[in-house]
Amino acid sequence: MRKVVVLCSLLICYVLLLFAVVNMPSMGDPDSITIKGPPGRGAVPRYLEKGAEECGGENIITDIILNYRGYDTNGEVTVIFTALIGVLAVLNRERKKISFSDMEQSPVKHSVIVYTIVRILLPFIFIFSLYVILFGEVGPGGGFQGGTIAAAAAIIFILVFGYSYSIGKFPTSWRINFEGIAPLTFIAMGLIGLFLGKNYLTFMFPQFSHTTNLTIARSMLMIIEIAIGVGGAFIFTSIFFAMQREDRS
Amino acid sequence: MIWRLDIILLLFLVATALIVVRTKDLLAAALIFGAYSLIMCIVWQQLSAPDIALTEAAVGAGVTTVLFIVTISKTTRREE
Repeated sequence: MRKVVVLCSLLICYVLLLFAVVNMPSMGDPDSITIKGPPGRGAVPRYLEKGAEECGGENIITDIILNYRGYDTNGEVTVIFTALIGVLAVLNRERKKISFSDMEQSPVKHSVIVYTIVRILLPFIFIFSLYVILFGEVGPGGGFQGGTIAAAAAIIFILVFGYSYSIGKFPTSWRINFEGIAPLTFIAMGLIGLFLGKNYLTFMFPQFSHTTNLTIARSMLMIIEIAIGVGGAFIFTSIFFAMQREDRS
Repeated sequence: MIWRLDIILLLFLVATALIVVRTKDLLAAALIFGAYSLIMCIVWQQLSAPDIALTEAAVGAGVTTVLFIVTISKTTRREE
């Protein structure tokens, strides 16, 4: 009986989703009404034609997510920060003193090959993450992606060199200053618009505020991109540290 | 768009998704989920969304898999 109910509800969901998919525009169709919008008012032609000159970024995706849909990205950045708060609420980082003898052992047993390869690879991974963050303005990439790559490098470091050594290199008192940097920078950039008598986030839109030129918009794009990258990297690293701290009990 | 490659990728995607749900060994499930993310990354690239592909590769195949494996190493490996 229960199986029949579950199957029927799944089937109904499936049919509804199928209808939604059929109504979506086919990929790359220039004549679709969703892409073009009502005559003269569609969002996508505006993004494609004026994105680069209105926002300063060569990459239209970066222009859209940071400028045209800045509110959306602001919320997204806050969600990632909230995820860290949630993890730390469950795995409290200050709850108990860790006995360092438990953590002393690196999960990877002392292997010269692993140490050497990681030591050689780490600088390249960090430079690649910086490249992805900074290249986000002109090509695929950006703060989220680059920050996650940097966090992956930090996670490799923690895994190979052990918890106690890494917590000495990245102490909590030092990391805690950077964890909230992404939402704080975004909100600060938005508030500049308010202080100038415009709306929230308008300072980033040269076409609306008329108070700034393209260079300023471009540098603000860069600042926010770097802040998202640094904040994301520290948030993922802190989540990993919090999980490493828990033991098997 | 190479449609044969796309069909193979999508079939693998469905297969990995089903295996992740069905398998009882959580470590194997986490690794197959990483493979799922990797296939999804190539699918995003095929849909000409390189930004999302980069995110999927870094977050889905990279960090999420590591977090899952660390969680498994702190708890138990077998599903009850």
